Amino acid sequence: MNLEITARLQHGAFTLDVNNTFPLQGVTALFGRSGCGKTTLLRIIAGLEHPRGARVCYGDQTWQGGGDFVPLAKRRIGLVFQEHSLLPHRNVRGNLEYGYKRTPPNLRRLHLPEVCELLGISPLLDRRIDQLSGGERQRVALGRALLCSPQLLLLDEPLAALDTQTKREIMPFLVRLSREAHVPILLVTHVPDEVERLADRVAFMHDGRVQRIEELHDALTRPDSPLFDEEGPVSVLEGTLSAPDAEGLCRFESGNVALHVLDPGGTRDSRLQRLRIRGRDVILALKDPEAISVVNRLPVTVEAVHSGASGESLVISRLSNGQALLALITTSSLRRLGLTEGSPCIALIKSLALHQPGRGEEGR
Amino acid sequence: MKSHQIILLTLSLVLGQTALAGKSLTIAAAADLRFALDEILDLYRPQHPDAAIEVIYGSSGKMTTQILNGAPYDLFFSADIAFPERLHREGFAVTEPSVYAIGRIVIWSKRQDASNMRLDDLMQPAIRRVAIAQPAHAPYGLRAREALQAGGLWDDIQPKLVFGENIAHAAQMVESEAADVGIIALSLARFPPLAAHGYSVIDDALHEPLTQGYVVTRHGSDNTLARDFARYMMQAEARAVMKRYGFELPANE
Amino acid sequence: MIELSPSDWVAIRLTLKLGLYTTGILLAIGTPLAWWLASGRSPLRTAVQSIVALPLVLPPTVLGFYLLLLLGPRGWIGGSLEAIGLTHLAFTFTGILIASVIYSMPFAVQPLFQAFTALGRRHVEVAASLGAGPIDRFFTVILPLTRGGFIIAATLSFAHTLGEFGAILMIGGSIPGRTKVLSVLIYDHAEAMNYTAAHQLSLLLLAFAFLVLFIVYAVNRRFDTVRP
Repeated sequence: MNLEITARLQHGAFTLDVNNTFPLQGVTALFGRSGCGKTTLLRIIAGLEHPRGARVCYGDQTWQGGGDFVPLAKRRIGLVFQEHSLLPHRNVRGNLEYGYKRTPPNLRRLHLPEVCELLGISPLLDRRIDQLSGGERQRVALGRALLCSPQLLLLDEPLAALDTQTKREIMPFLVRLSREAHVPILLVTHVPDEVERLADRVAFMHDGRVQRIEELHDALTRPDSPLFDEEGPVSVLEGTLSAPDAEGLCRFESGNVALHVLDPGGTRDSRLQRLRIRGRDVILALKDPEAISVVNRLPVTVEAVHSGASGESLVISRLSNGQALLALITTSSLRRLGLTEGSPCIALIKSLALHQPGRGEEGR
Repeated sequence: MKSHQIILLTLSLVLGQTALAGKSLTIAAAADLRFALDEILDLYRPQHPDAAIEVIYGSSGKMTTQILNGAPYDLFFSADIAFPERLHREGFAVTEPSVYAIGRIVIWSKRQDASNMRLDDLMQPAIRRVAIAQPAHAPYGLRAREALQAGGLWDDIQPKLVFGENIAHAAQMVESEAADVGIIALSLARFPPLAAHGYSVIDDALHEPLTQGYVVTRHGSDNTLARDFARYMMQAEARAVMKRYGFELPANE
Repeated sequence: MIELSPSDWVAIRLTLKLGLYTTGILLAIGTPLAWWLASGRSPLRTAVQSIVALPLVLPPTVLGFYLLLLLGPRGWIGGSLEAIGLTHLAFTFTGILIASVIYSMPFAVQPLFQAFTALGRRHVEVAASLGAGPIDRFFTVILPLTRGGFIIAATLSFAHTLGEFGAILMIGGSIPGRTKVLSVLIYDHAEAMNYTAAHQLSLLLLAFAFLVLFIVYAVNRRFDTVRP
């Protein structure tokens, strides 16, 4: 399903000027700094802003353009905002059912039991809104949006107002939702960690324009990727996570590659998981140093080398399963090891460096 | 029909303007008639038990302005025939203005005995507030001003003057003792509760006569009750009441 | 003990009718107006807000005077009505109703404006995304969350209409059963030196005014503590 937008909007000194087509399978992140126009773009898609002359088409539906305007209530869009937006005069069940009851029965794909199960909110159903924690509120808000069986889910920084602990608690639910709800999601965020964990695709926004829309793995193998602004280069591996062994280590398997990580806790299932590996946590060796505490020692092949001005070099390599692994080393070491395109070497990664929960906050 | 007229039509239909059923009579009367006319109406109403008869009192000038602006009065008893004459000239009256009474002004007080007071006495320091009606639109106020001017007091008395919206309002200011003395209508001073305090009549040589006239208004042109009541005012029963309230009456035709 | 004459009852009924009609009309036009003021983006908002608030500072007689000129037989509106065979609106119930609506407008719009501003647009936008149309949103989201504002707007408009004098006297005259409302009747009683009657009606209005303010403050307190 494609979303086509042409819009120009002037708010004081700020100009939004967008003319793009977004392929919307899975999760698309709309990434950029605060004030770059992400939320405004989201509001135009939702029909909450309707600049003159704008055109918004979703699949074969024209939401705005040529004198036509479909109001938000008829677009069947699920909206979740960063701050608390539950209706305070209804309890959890009342909030969840608000949209469900207004969805024509023949369009209902998701129902209360499965959504409650997906988001873990069954025990909250009869609570008043002011009796919920921040994370519970966002889960209910997500559930409420899902229950109107939307054809598109718009999430506007849904984690931004939450504390670190709560983000850890809610992230797995978001991951599950993105994998299992089968609704295209547009996620507005300025946090690379959220993009790397959730997105399949990322649209970079800067100064009111969408600069580039690309698949996440392409965005993560580009040395100048805006996603690397905060924590430096990051690789994302997709794989499955096993139960922890007696010593508390879990096996993360991705094709023929296996890594050992500390038990991330929380809900665990055998489905696809993502593992973020920071480039600065990766060590490269020409030979496998067996007598070493590091258990994760993976053979890789260097694919590209980018030397920066600051004395750092980014080494992009391929694991034996074909996924990319990024290592950030000094240019001096690069020279000493004589690494060039095609060089085989061993990547060393401490299990402790792969400890997952709250990873996004450590780098902020 | 223009579009704004359609809107107005709809508006007035929605808001509803119910016509009064049965015979009705709305009289506008100068405030000096307040007690006399009430008594006359008490005599008249039993003769027309089905009719809704209302009387509204005010200054003659204000009443005239209201009639010019479409007030739904059928009959207008003014304190000064000049106002009915103006209405007649401008086409708002359907009868020739005719005199129904001559009024007088008096000095009246509740705080002290005014029965021997003269205009000069108003300058006594003990008298701090003197009430008169608004000369601009109340004939009794205008005559009070003329009398004070003729007595050479007008400029000096300015600091003491308070103005009632009409002559009944001026009388009420004195009655409530907010004003020490007032120049009010004889017809009001003759009202029993007020008469107990005594008054002195001001020499009518000091002012133009208070020739009081009435007209049937354009609004009341088809109102038979309006003409009937106007005739009744000229009959003995009504004249007796008017006389008791101190009005001089024109000779019956 | 309070003993009221038939003409007092006529005035009381008329006053209550005027208050109810005014309140009803004000809620009907004040709600969209206040919503537009609270959430619209038009540059005209400040001007409109000032016009709505004018009766707060304008002498009621000024309003009455202009309405008389406008609604009377020689005015633009009154004259147009006459031209199509209707009666003009000066000295009629409709006339004082229009005056009351304008005169009490700020007392309806201001509390609603504040309630809508405090509500913000988030809940309404979410309700729209959940499939609720404008009317549905008004009754299931806006109304329940701004109930306090509506109660205050209604009580204040009603009470303020009861206290209106100058404008009504100007546009309405004081015609019993049509435009002679309580405040005008009290003035009339006082002028006729019928102080007992003036007292009784004044006491009635005084007690009512107290009751209204009591309700307003009680509602304010309650909704202040309940609002999220």
